[in-house]
Amino acid sequence: MRSIVSLSAMAVAISVSVFAGSSFAQDKPVKLGVMLPLSGPAALAGTSILEGIQFAAEENNAKGGVLGQQVELVIEDDEGNATKGVTAVRKLIEQEGVAAISGTYVSGVALAATKVAREFKVPMISAGSTSSDVTDYNEAGDPWFFRAFPGSREQARQSAVDMVKKLDATKVAVLHENSVYGKSLSDSLAANLAEVGGAIILTETYNPDERDFFSVLTKVRAAQPDAVYIAGLMDAGAQIIKQSAELGVETQIMGSGSMMSDKLIELAGPASEGFAVSSMFEPSTPNEFGAAFTERFRAKFNKEPDVYSALGYDSMNVLIEAVRRAGVADGAAIQAALKGMDDVPLVQGPQGTVADFDEQGSVPFKIGLAIVRNGKREWLPFD
Amino acid sequence: MVSDLVLLPQFLTNGLVIGSGYVLVAVGLTLIFGILHIVNFAHGEFYMLGGFAAVLGSQLLGLPALPTLLVVAVVMAAFGLVVERVVFRPLGGKDPTNAIIASFGLSVLLQNLMLKTVGAEPMAVKSGFAPGAIQIGNVFITAERIAIVAAMAVIVAALLLVLRYTWTGRALRSLSENPTVALISGVNVRRVSLITFVIGSVLAGLSGALMSTVFMVQPNSGALIVMKAFIIVVVAGMGSIEGAIIVGLALGLIESLVAGYMGNELRDIVGFLIVILVLAVRPQGLFGLKTERS
Repeated sequence: MRSIVSLSAMAVAISVSVFAGSSFAQDKPVKLGVMLPLSGPAALAGTSILEGIQFAAEENNAKGGVLGQQVELVIEDDEGNATKGVTAVRKLIEQEGVAAISGTYVSGVALAATKVAREFKVPMISAGSTSSDVTDYNEAGDPWFFRAFPGSREQARQSAVDMVKKLDATKVAVLHENSVYGKSLSDSLAANLAEVGGAIILTETYNPDERDFFSVLTKVRAAQPDAVYIAGLMDAGAQIIKQSAELGVETQIMGSGSMMSDKLIELAGPASEGFAVSSMFEPSTPNEFGAAFTERFRAKFNKEPDVYSALGYDSMNVLIEAVRRAGVADGAAIQAALKGMDDVPLVQGPQGTVADFDEQGSVPFKIGLAIVRNGKREWLPFD
Repeated sequence: MVSDLVLLPQFLTNGLVIGSGYVLVAVGLTLIFGILHIVNFAHGEFYMLGGFAAVLGSQLLGLPALPTLLVVAVVMAAFGLVVERVVFRPLGGKDPTNAIIASFGLSVLLQNLMLKTVGAEPMAVKSGFAPGAIQIGNVFITAERIAIVAAMAVIVAALLLVLRYTWTGRALRSLSENPTVALISGVNVRRVSLITFVIGSVLAGLSGALMSTVFMVQPNSGALIVMKAFIIVVVAGMGSIEGAIIVGLALGLIESLVAGYMGNELRDIVGFLIVILVLAVRPQGLFGLKTERS
């Protein structure tokens, strides 16, 4: 009997807190969800992004937190797997009662997760997922999935232009990961390349776990493209670059944004010389807010931030600012606040980039291009 | 089409290298799965651990190639010994499902253990060979890839000699044919089982070490290769070592040709199609001799 009473009391408490927003949570920390691939094939990116997310939360907490409370991050590992992602997002919302979620990295997982989160009216802000498919799922003007950086469509459009204008390559071979991320970049590149006078002469798909690219690169070598475009994650990218050199594929290689990492240069070794990569952030950024972030990050971690730490930082920093503006830790209020963030600076992008989300929830700032020279990435100026 | 045929030697070379890696993993698995009947889903993690043991030898201890392989063999032998005694022996003789579940658990445990201790970053094993391509006619290859094929040939030849000419080898083969008769004939089944398991672990580890010189090693490195190894063992026939060698090389070659001539996305599917086909036509496997016993 007693258990029934306490159960119904709990049910009342839950329904009250649902309807009254955070009125019950006045003396509790503000809980924000984080979902990332912390194990599995994308764990490398996931752990770096988490560092940026935690750094943003710590900084905000040191300044007194938000709504007079500290921010508490509830972290879930989605393993880069859509099924696990749905479980993670349900756990964050139903058990932990988070008001908003920063996540996740793998686009396919983000797409599955936002479908659930939207039902519960919990906004999500991308922690690295690039595919435009995820923001396309939003209803125009009423996005529940936000991305504080450009999507795959913008990135591919810029890459197509850079390919032809900066790298002087018109015949392009594309190797893309067999995923939402890889496919959306590859498709958009194909569409955009034609407009700027280029053409795709070979497209090949690979599985995220794959590490042997000799056979597919043998075909690339025979096709004699001016450039190879890789749409995939860093680990496979490093292998493709290294094995291209071993196989005598002497051609310009360009990689998607995930490959903007010092680790890639280390893993691919001298073969990475001349490698070009889409870059939204470099420690040497001309963006003043980004440069200040670089300094603080260096002081704290004693290492250089990369695009992953920058992505994580922007994602959480924007989210906390949205909670502050919403004035209440409630999903719908935070979503409304996220629509008016055009004065909140981002560490990524050129000087003056702000979190000005468009109708679909994306921030289409200009993406740069970096080229590896003497074992270091050099950022070409935004034109 | 002529230009496509020009690529054939390169595709065959690629397939031979990949197939060599498969052979070592599959021979190890056929000992454990085919002879001991332990469905070891953690076999891919044994492969992964071998890669990390090689990182230990080549990077941290700064050893050259052969002593590094010795370190890998010792580490994996010790590891196999512990796993057999702690995990699989206590479950032996009971419902085989227990061992399957235990091996799944072991697989998850090992992956996460490595993730926590060494992290998700790929690590390279230093082979000490000169980097860069060697060009023979139209075919490009690296010293490390040649070493994989050579090492596989040496290790497999040594294993076949041991199985043929030593008492332990004979005991092992008798065990594979009929454990009860082996026991009656004076074979210490427990001891031979332990040795078999240890040899299987060492082979998986050596394969991981060799392949990591080319493909690097990460905590999830073994996830895909364990599936390939099961394909090879089932297609070859449970416990058939010669079969595992032939089918392992063949799978490497077929995958390479499929990736080259049909499309890379089909490469990981083709093995599973072959398994289905073989199981339908010849359930005991291509080289499996055992038929039902009355």
